[in-house]
Amino acid sequence: MTIPMGLSTEPTAAPLRSWVAQIMLDTVGRSAARIGLVWVVFTAFLGVFAPFLANSYPLLAKVNGKWSSPMARHLTAADVTLMVAFVLAFVLLAMRRAAAGQRLLVFVGVVVVVGVIGLVVVRPPRTNIYEQYRELKLEGRLESAVAAPLPYSPGDRLRDSFEISHPHPWPPSWSHPLGTDRVGGDVLSQMIYASRLALSIGFISTGIAAILGTILGGLMGYFAGMVDLIGMRLAEIFSAIPTLYLLLLLVAFFERNIYLYMVVIGITSWVGYARFVRAEFLRLRQQDFVHAAVASGLRLRSVLFRHILPNALAPLLVNVSFGIASAILLETTLSFLGLGPADSPSWGGLLNQAVSPGGGFSWWIAAFPGLAIFLTVFGYNLIGESMRDAVDPRGKPH
Amino acid sequence: MLNYIVRRLLLMIPTLLGITVLVFSVMMMVPGGLAASLDLEGGMRPEEREAERQYLNRRFGLDKPAPAQYLRWLNNISPIGCTVKADGTLGAFGFKAPDLGESHFKHRSVISLVKEALPITLLLNLLTIPFLYGIAVSSGILAAKHRGKLLDQGIGTVLLGLWSMPVIWVGVMLVGFLANHDIVALFPASGLHDVRAGSMAFLPHGRAGGVDRGWLLDAVWHLVAPIICLTYAGFAFLSKLMRASVLVNLSSDFVRTALAKGASEKIVLYRHVLRNSLLPLITVAASLLPGLLGGSLIVENIFSINGMGTLMIDAIRQQDRDLVLSQTLVVGLVGLFSLLLADICYAIADPRVSYE
Repeated sequence: MTIPMGLSTEPTAAPLRSWVAQIMLDTVGRSAARIGLVWVVFTAFLGVFAPFLANSYPLLAKVNGKWSSPMARHLTAADVTLMVAFVLAFVLLAMRRAAAGQRLLVFVGVVVVVGVIGLVVVRPPRTNIYEQYRELKLEGRLESAVAAPLPYSPGDRLRDSFEISHPHPWPPSWSHPLGTDRVGGDVLSQMIYASRLALSIGFISTGIAAILGTILGGLMGYFAGMVDLIGMRLAEIFSAIPTLYLLLLLVAFFERNIYLYMVVIGITSWVGYARFVRAEFLRLRQQDFVHAAVASGLRLRSVLFRHILPNALAPLLVNVSFGIASAILLETTLSFLGLGPADSPSWGGLLNQAVSPGGGFSWWIAAFPGLAIFLTVFGYNLIGESMRDAVDPRGKPH
Repeated sequence: MLNYIVRRLLLMIPTLLGITVLVFSVMMMVPGGLAASLDLEGGMRPEEREAERQYLNRRFGLDKPAPAQYLRWLNNISPIGCTVKADGTLGAFGFKAPDLGESHFKHRSVISLVKEALPITLLLNLLTIPFLYGIAVSSGILAAKHRGKLLDQGIGTVLLGLWSMPVIWVGVMLVGFLANHDIVALFPASGLHDVRAGSMAFLPHGRAGGVDRGWLLDAVWHLVAPIICLTYAGFAFLSKLMRASVLVNLSSDFVRTALAKGASEKIVLYRHVLRNSLLPLITVAASLLPGLLGGSLIVENIFSINGMGTLMIDAIRQQDRDLVLSQTLVVGLVGLFSLLLADICYAIADPRVSYE
């Protein structure tokens, strides 16, 4: 971690930037944050372009003299939306001129529209016959093909290459760089797709928690008194029950899909944000600029969200970064316990297969997915730590 | 201060009720409602089924609105309340045995299952706290002493790294590599005692041709790996707290006075600063428990320790509803109690703070 020389590394020539923008720039300037950011963007890239990287269907194939793209035919609406969102995010980040709010609005709007259109237009086949093109190739009917770098989908259990003498899991080899799991799925391919699950649950559940925490914490801090007392009891309920138990209670009896996890992790981890925002609002509500805003007859919404919130935002972002890390940990833990979202490959779910009931240990199923969880969580924690130093330079010596 | 503690105790009541409301609402939201946990025998004739339904309505008040059902359930789980007679009417008010329901998979009362599992989990977690503090305090002091230097940054990065290591990974790797008879069998892979522990002497003693490790050493040997898993991630938070606390104290007036009167730096650090810096760490000790309980759920499952965590996961796999709900309730109560303890510790340890 680098140590800032002086209070801010930001040159004084740019006074027009908001505090949050300054903190962001300062954070990105730190080497620890950069390392974290590189890994996070890398996993996001893997997750978003997973169909191009690991797929049993060739990217392009020539059968009966006709070229087609089996990969594209099997894309789902979620795949397409993710790719559009990822590319759009980079384009909008590059557009420095436009206001941040506008860019965010455009981003959300386009993603929602693409998602809805995708659900209607994109219709992948209901059943997947993964070995289809391998068999065509064996029969010599596949005239020419461009395969994905890793020619195995995460759900592909290699049924065509089953041999009783050589049971799964297979250790790492050239065709399966990180080996296969107990049912014959390629570990690397599943890991690539699992980064989607981790990141989407991490981002969305943290978003839900942060919004919930900000609203409740803001109200508690601003009104104080009775509202605060009741709100703190609510927070106490959620901090007394260990998060993992609360999560298990909520996922135990309901149908397990990925959206349930996003919501449930979100509503079980808002307390930290609420406490934090409450403290900031308690501090800020007595300041002159707030009195001025109230005295000039502004609506409550305006006082809370336009005047007080921006001053409490940067410290909140620090917690968001740590929050994403812990949401990912929670998701992988639940998957490890066999209580994760059904049918989606997960790093935690893979880890669960490493020790067989008979006592055998397949190190490759434990080591690589575990390493992926560790690096991702470490990445977010590094970003959070750098951001904390940027927000509060007193914590670090200079 | 007594005033504060009483106030704090009174504030605990709404939270306690809140936890029960939370658990009850999950119970009501579950497909099938409250009746789903009751064994409705299949293959009955319609009139028998109707009679059973009426009996259950009388017994559990299933035909009443939700608030009435909640009050009845609350009365069942509370140790103070009205006794419930066999026909479902309420008896005398007073102390009674709380009724947390029946585990329909294990055919035992939930209370007896929890009574077996809770001490194991609490023991495991209370054992980790001294290790947690030992390492956090020493690394915190070390980092503060060398603040800004390479050592400080090194400790910070290593602790952040440890904090980021998922327990599921470390646990599985420990079991896979170090508790594996094919590789290195340093630790036992599961349980808290050897199968033969019942016949062991308490302390290690010599016997013909070797040393018998005895019950105590056997338990310690089984505890090493789980405790490593429970502690390593917790250092980061506590050590950071310690470092910040030492730094604040190092720049305070009493340190300058002590140095000015000629006390050596070592004495100032270990006698004056250390004691004052421990304050925030003591006060968070009890509030660590909810977090630790969550962590021990994973560790218990990896090392097959029969505590609350294993019971919980088994109960979920078997869709044993009363057991899942009651366990969440019990863990919530333990957590709430530890939060209360933390607040009281804070009041006792730091009399300078006013509580009006």
